[in-house]
Amino acid sequence: MTTTGFVTLDGVRKQWSHTVTIGPVSLEMARGEIVALLGPSGSGKTTVLRLLAGFELPDAGRIAIEGEDVTALPPARRRCGMVFQHYALFPHLDVGENVAFGLRGRADPGRKAGEVLKLVDLAGFERRKPHELSGGQQQRVALARALAPEPRLLLLDEPLSNLDPSLRERTRRELHALIKRVGITTLLVTHEQEEAFDLGDRVAVLNRGRLDQVGTPDDLYERPASLFVATFVGRANVLRGATARVLGGSDGRVLVVRPEQLRFADGGLPGLVRERRYTGAAAFYQVETEHGDRLEVSGDPAAARVGDRVYLQAGRVMTFAEARE
Amino acid sequence: MSGSRRALAPRAALTLLLAWLAVYPMLVVIAEAASSDAVGAFVARPGEWGALWASVWISLASVALAAAVGIPLAFLFEWLEFPGRKTLGSLIALPAVLPPFVGVIAFLFLYGESGFAARAVQAVLGLERAPWRLQGASAILLVHGYSMYVYFYLLTRAGLAQLDESLIEAAQALGAGRWQTLWRVTLPLLRPALAGAALLVFMTALGSFSAPYVFGGGFRVMTTQIVATKLNGELPLAMVETVALALVAVAGLVVLRRTEGDDLLTALGRGTAPRRRPIRRPGVRRLATAAGWLLAVLLLLPHLTLAVVSLVPYGSWTTEAVPPVLSLVNYRRLFGEPERLRPLVNSLWMAGLSTLAAVALALAAGALVGRRRPARFRGPIESLIVLPWAIPGTVFAVALAATFSVYSPFTLRWILVGTVVLLPLAYLVRSLPVTGRAVLAAYRQLDPALEEAAASLGAGRWGVFRRVTLPSLRPALAAGASLAFVAALGDFVTSIVLYTYDNRPISIEIMSSLRVSELGVAAAFGVILMVVSALVLGLGARR
Repeated sequence: MTTTGFVTLDGVRKQWSHTVTIGPVSLEMARGEIVALLGPSGSGKTTVLRLLAGFELPDAGRIAIEGEDVTALPPARRRCGMVFQHYALFPHLDVGENVAFGLRGRADPGRKAGEVLKLVDLAGFERRKPHELSGGQQQRVALARALAPEPRLLLLDEPLSNLDPSLRERTRRELHALIKRVGITTLLVTHEQEEAFDLGDRVAVLNRGRLDQVGTPDDLYERPASLFVATFVGRANVLRGATARVLGGSDGRVLVVRPEQLRFADGGLPGLVRERRYTGAAAFYQVETEHGDRLEVSGDPAAARVGDRVYLQAGRVMTFAEARE
Repeated sequence: MSGSRRALAPRAALTLLLAWLAVYPMLVVIAEAASSDAVGAFVARPGEWGALWASVWISLASVALAAAVGIPLAFLFEWLEFPGRKTLGSLIALPAVLPPFVGVIAFLFLYGESGFAARAVQAVLGLERAPWRLQGASAILLVHGYSMYVYFYLLTRAGLAQLDESLIEAAQALGAGRWQTLWRVTLPLLRPALAGAALLVFMTALGSFSAPYVFGGGFRVMTTQIVATKLNGELPLAMVETVALALVAVAGLVVLRRTEGDDLLTALGRGTAPRRRPIRRPGVRRLATAAGWLLAVLLLLPHLTLAVVSLVPYGSWTTEAVPPVLSLVNYRRLFGEPERLRPLVNSLWMAGLSTLAAVALALAAGALVGRRRPARFRGPIESLIVLPWAIPGTVFAVALAATFSVYSPFTLRWILVGTVVLLPLAYLVRSLPVTGRAVLAAYRQLDPALEEAAASLGAGRWGVFRRVTLPSLRPALAAGASLAFVAALGDFVTSIVLYTYDNRPISIEIMSSLRVSELGVAAAFGVILMVVSALVLGLGARR
């Protein structure tokens, strides 16, 4: 995908305290693209989102949307639609009034609100109060409210974290379909890899305030740019020292191997099966090596039993420099 | 955001304004008291020490009395289930709608020397004279107990409702009996609520003026002593007395705050409150119900008395046990003669204006320092807003009178004594704690995401405030404003020191009516005050 720079973050930095700094972050988003900002809690995801929305002002750097420099613009004039983590629906207004909130001064806000509600499958809900709705419905009202003024950029803060786990997967698919149908450029923040992979055309991994890697889900999984990305995205065995050398690592480097890249063989790295966790199609085995390292191996459910002495061979391995402090 | 530095000037200005309103008059009084030789006179006269001591012990006794009535009632209504519990539970808070002075005259009409109760006993026993006189310390304590147990009742109930049942069950599982559980778990968990109620009662009793003024007779407490001294023209001595009472108030505040502990205790219990247990034995249940209704009648009697007396035409009730004639003549006269209606109009505009100003100041404080993120000047502004609560009404009234009886613009003093603005100004300052606390608490609960959502949807600063912030604050604003309005409407303590003929409020008119024995008119004013107060409070409590 070629980035035409519909949204540009250029060396954006925000200092919270002597020890906590976000950025410098640079990111380009193409028109209509969905970028998922993925990172552990405290990595600065929400700060990046709030900088884009205009709730925080950066200490350095430049933010542009559609070629317009919005770095110093107040939120009201940025034309970014935001869906808050807890939705922030106005409790004193009904659903219709909530959705029409951003339509002040436009022709026939009521009709437009109705249209957007239909888009999120909530036609006829205008007169309900937010507290009368289920969590999923509230989320869709929040989405409708953000979309109604036809913003240039949609910002989603942990859009699914407030939903029942049973609801999440379906909502995720619906959300993705809706965004693509509207065709709006979207940045969403999440700490769940599955969510980021499912929703994002590209995923940006944030680590301690810096972007470690921006790429497609396949890129991140197959070709992680750092030890952090390798371990944060997907399951990974991290090995150092003697065990690493047996599997083809070198001194001073960290070796990472995915569970599915390890298999039981007649020779190789010897170990003892300590645990077996059955998941249906496959099983995960905990194998302890002579040096006390524990490796996770994914394999056929019938491949080994607890207490078996086994040998491991590795397929593709990755090596990294030690993580930065 | 960058707003914090820009808002420094308005914050400093608000701090100064509040300091001028709430602290400056107190400083003036302290300075003038210290510079006169009245301190010597105060120390030398045994009467002064007597009044000060009376204030303290009456207040402590009021706390004990209110606790003895309020706490058991709270347990009864929160823990047990019996027919009529809900209705009774809300009836029981009724003394709260009676403004202090109106409550006092209702007691006078009911239990006073020539009140209903005394006449009834006299008639039944065929006595020559009234069987008792309602006077002195016991009369004051009776009124205090009646009007102040509500604090203990309401706060204890709130505390009990927050209690986590699993804590009690845990104690029982560990082998504690019912009394042991109460003593070692329940009561310690209630400590913040109980200490809070004790503080409220102590401060209210210390500043109480109406009851000692009407029933005290020769028994003086500091509030009545101050007013008497001032009316005697011994101004410097009155200032010293004022400072002495203020010091006692501050000492009480500090001591009681210390016992309050922190919110940790209640924060810990985050489960469900214990379920109410129905009283099983039918005999006991009937007894509880009967006792409950008897109590309700007892609590309602003063209100009822007031209503009846307001229907008694002037001079028509002499020695009979019950009034022989009832008519609406008092009300007709009240609304028919403009000069008689004046006090009502006065009270309404003064209470309305002072409430409006107090709400505006509270909103300004909330907007400047109320949000959850740290802000400069927050500490000073919050303390200044609640400070007037710790100052007895009489003290503050005398301080205002002293401050604004001098023309000295450079020290921010003008002559306001004798003008109509001084009394509403006093109401305003005394309203600040209740409006301020309500608004600041509501601001703290405000979800910042709501305002951010509005901003990102294109609303400007004013639009966000008008369309999102203000509607979210509405319940707190209504509650705070209604309480402030009702307090100002029924005020007697500050009014008696600061009123002029042109702005004489209802309470003062009630007093003058009593002086000329127009009991019916006084009661009619009392009823109007009671009804308006109840209406406004009801309106303010609506969600």
